[in-house]
Formats: sequence, structure tokens, C-alpha cells
Amino acid sequence: MSSDPEKMMSKADKMTKLTLTRWSADWRGATELYEQAANGFRAANKYEKAKVALEKASQGQVMQSSPWDAAKHMESAAALAQKLSIWDEVADFYKKASELYVECGRAQPASDALGKAARALEDVKPEVAIQLYTDACEILEEDGRDQMAFDLYRACASVYIKLEKFADAATFFLRLGVAADKCDATNSQCKAYLSAIIVYLYGHDLKQAEKCYNDCSQIDAFLKSDQNRTASRLLTAYNEGDIEEIKKVACSSTVSNLDHVIIKLARKLPTGDVTAVQMNAGDDLDEDDLT
Amino acid sequence: MTVIDILTRVDSICKKYDKYDVDKQREANISGDDAFARLYSAFETQIETALEKAEIVTKEKNRASAVAMNAEIRRTKARLSEEVPKLQRLAVKRVKGLTTEEITARNDLVLALPARIEAIPDGTAGGPKGSNAWAPSTTSRPDIKFDSGDYGRFDDDYFQESNESSQFRQEFEMRKIKQASLDMISEGLDALKNMASDMNEELDRQVPLMDEIDSKVDRATSDLKNTNVRLKDTVNQLRSSRNFCIDIVLLCIVLGIAAYLYK
Repeated sequence: MSSDPEKMMSKADKMTKLTLTRWSADWRGATELYEQAANGFRAANKYEKAKVALEKASQGQVMQSSPWDAAKHMESAAALAQKLSIWDEVADFYKKASELYVECGRAQPASDALGKAARALEDVKPEVAIQLYTDACEILEEDGRDQMAFDLYRACASVYIKLEKFADAATFFLRLGVAADKCDATNSQCKAYLSAIIVYLYGHDLKQAEKCYNDCSQIDAFLKSDQNRTASRLLTAYNEGDIEEIKKVACSSTVSNLDHVIIKLARKLPTGDVTAVQMNAGDDLDEDDLT
Repeated sequence: MTVIDILTRVDSICKKYDKYDVDKQREANISGDDAFARLYSAFETQIETALEKAEIVTKEKNRASAVAMNAEIRRTKARLSEEVPKLQRLAVKRVKGLTTEEITARNDLVLALPARIEAIPDGTAGGPKGSNAWAPSTTSRPDIKFDSGDYGRFDDDYFQESNESSQFRQEFEMRKIKQASLDMISEGLDALKNMASDMNEELDRQVPLMDEIDSKVDRATSDLKNTNVRLKDTVNQLRSSRNFCIDIVLLCIVLGIAAYLYK
């Protein structure tokens, strides 16, 4: 075995090409050579070449019908692409790895791969990240492991909040609530609903927040919880335009136990919406109105 | 004279002198349509109850209830003073069946009312200047009412702490401190509760994973056991046959030849 990765690469390439002398590709040998070449390149900090070697190694594994190893190689390739900041490839490699994991029948690593991809792309390509998060959540839900999806939902919602798409963020929190409901995780469920209400309020959408609150009150678990009380206090404070009360509720311990992104929103709540007080002046019923 | 005669005579005499019966007149007035008379009689009854209460207050030993009753009396007085202008207006109205003399009499009654209301003792030491100062002000500014009497009449007795009130103050301070520490405890408990429920959910999440690990490890151990048994069989086979001894003998011969060759 030559220690020069380049030589190994060329040798492995030759092994896989079909020529007159070679009628069937020797994938086993080739894969081994590719793996060794990749290690060599990595040690030499030649990440681009290492990435290519890993890609080819992964393909070799696929040919050998071992999707698990193939997926592992793909993930390493994607990590290298992340280091090189080639974002399209990052997404592609992770997606391929995830598909291979699904082939193995292992949903958790599949969604983990997509989660890693989404986290890598959060800052650079948030829409792609959101898509990846959604796919990861779906994979887990299909497999019936909703509990693992909580973190992914939360991460996705925080990406939406960063993009200032509050309605979508709130929708994700509600989906979190549904997932939590399936696994009887009442605490997470109530926290998710409270977070959704806060997000709506931050988005200046009092009507939606109230509708959301009414919907959530139908659920027993939420009705009996601390979060319910906090939500009702917040909404009544909003209805009365009482800024002091809003601030007090935002600093209460129930809100401080939520996700830190939501805590930041809650602290900013009254100042994020100056029209709250004025909006409610019109809600007062006319005293002479006898209906 | 027979009894019946006496009765009829008494009846006729009573009827003759009915108009001098004050109580009956009052009742007649009340049942009549005269709003003024009704209101005035209501006033009278309220003033009388207030006076009775004042009597009880002077005899009352418990300061808290004395204070409460004084407050009641003050409130009643305020209410009555509010109603006085209404009464005045009614007094001036011309009601049929009343002579002008009676109307002026009514006016006088109404004017005398504020003085009578003020005169009801309510725990604040009264002074003569109070009533004069009030009479015009109640009529000119009916919106502004004060429960207690004149300000400025806070004599020593007013601010003096009795034993009970200083005890109340101490208790209040202690309760405030207790409340603050209870608040801190409640915050700590909230944090603990939240952490505990998160731990609970995390453990719930780990349970299926542990089950998977369990089954996989079981499979691995059974595989290992199988392999061990097979290995044991193979080794036993090797040992039981002669090959072992033959191997050793041959090895010795080869070593001997080699040694001979290299010697």
C-alpha cells in the first residue's frame, strides 16, 4: 500500500473503471483505498481532496450494499464541505446520508443528519434550513419518535423568529404541542402553547393570540397548568393596556422557563407594540349600549 | 251610660281632634303623594338612627368597633348632606293643598337640617365654626364631600397610638418580612418544579432508547455465547485428536535438524 494518498486515489479509480482487462469493478478494494486516501488527505489538511475521496468511498459502499457505511462516509464528506463553506454540497451530502440511513431503517440517525445540516445552514440559508428541519421532524414522526422532534421544532421556530415570520413560528410551536400531546409530555405542551401566544403578541396580533388562547384552553392539560394562568394574565393585561402588568408577567418565573429566544421576545413585549393601549380603547363597550 | 255610648262618644271626640294628632298627620303625609314629606320623614329617621349610633359609640369599649361606627356615622352624615339640596328644591315647589305658610315652614325646616346633621357627634370633636362654614359650601359645591369633619381639628387624641394600634403596626411589619421570604421560596419552588418536569420528560424520552439498547445487547451476548461454544468445540476437537502430539514431535525434529545444520 503506497502511503501517498494521490497514488491511492488513482489506483482506486483504475480499479473501478471497466476496461477490456477488467470486466467487473473491484469495489471492495477500491473502497478501502478511497478510505485510506481520505484519511491521508485529511491528515495533510487537503480537505477538498479528502471530501472527494469520501464521496467516492461512500459510493463504493453503496455498491457493496452497505448503506450504513455509505451514510457514514457521506456525513464525513458533508462535515468537510461545511468546513470549506460549500453550502450546497453540505445540504446535498447530508440529505443523501439521511436517505441512506432511512434505507437502513434507522430514523434517528437520518433525522440527526438533517438536523446537523439545518444547523449548519441556519445562518447562511435559513429557508433551506427550515425545509431540512421540517423533513427531519417528519422522519421522526413517521417513525413514532415524536419526543426527539421537540428540539428540532424549537430550533425551527427560532429560525422563523429570526426571520421575523411570527405566524409561522407560532404554527411550529403548535405543532410541537401536537407532538407533545401524542407522547403525554404535558409540560412541554403547555410551554409550547404559551410560547405560541407570546409570539403572536410580539407580532402585534392580539386577535390571533386570543384565538390561540381559546383554542388551547380546550385542552385539559393546558387548562390546569401554570402556563394557562400566565397566558390569561398576559392577555388581560394587554386588553387593559396595562404596561406594568405586562412587564411583570414577562419577568415571572413561568416565562423564564421557556426557550431563551421566547424569553427575549417576552422581555421586549410591551415595547415591541406601542399601539396596544390605543387598540383597546376602541374595545370598550358603550355604556348606554343595552345589547 | 252604656259602654256603646261611651265608645261612640270617644270615637267622635277623637275624630274631631284628629288634626292635632302629630303622628297620624305624619303618617297621612307619608302615604300621600307629597314627595317632600316622604323625603323629609326619611331624613328624620336617618338622623335619629345616627344619633342612636352615636350614643352607642360613647358607651363602646372596643376601639375598633367604635372607629367603625364613627365611620358609619360620618358616611351617613355625608349622604344626608348630599340630599339636602334635593330636599330644598322639593320644599320650594308648590304643592296643591298646602298654604304659603306651610311652604315657608318647610323651607325653614330644610335650612335647619344641615345644622342638625352636623350636630350628630361622630368622634371628631365638634366646633361651632364648623356648621357656619359648611352651610353655604354644601349648597354651593355639592360635588365635593368629605367624610370626616373639618380638617385642622386634629387634636392630640387623633394621632395618639394606643397599644392596640402599635401592636397592629408591628404585626404588619412582621407579616411583610414573612411575605418577602415566602415570595423567594415560591420562586425557588417554581424553578425546581420546572426542572423536575423537564427531567421527567427527558427520562421518558430515554426509556425507548434504553429498551432498544437492551434488546441489541441481548442479541450481542447471545451471538457471543454461540461463538464461544463453537470455538470451544473446535479447540476440543483439536485437542482430542493426535494432531497435537504429532505437531509437537514434528516441531522438535525440525528444530533438531535446524540446530544440527547451523551448528
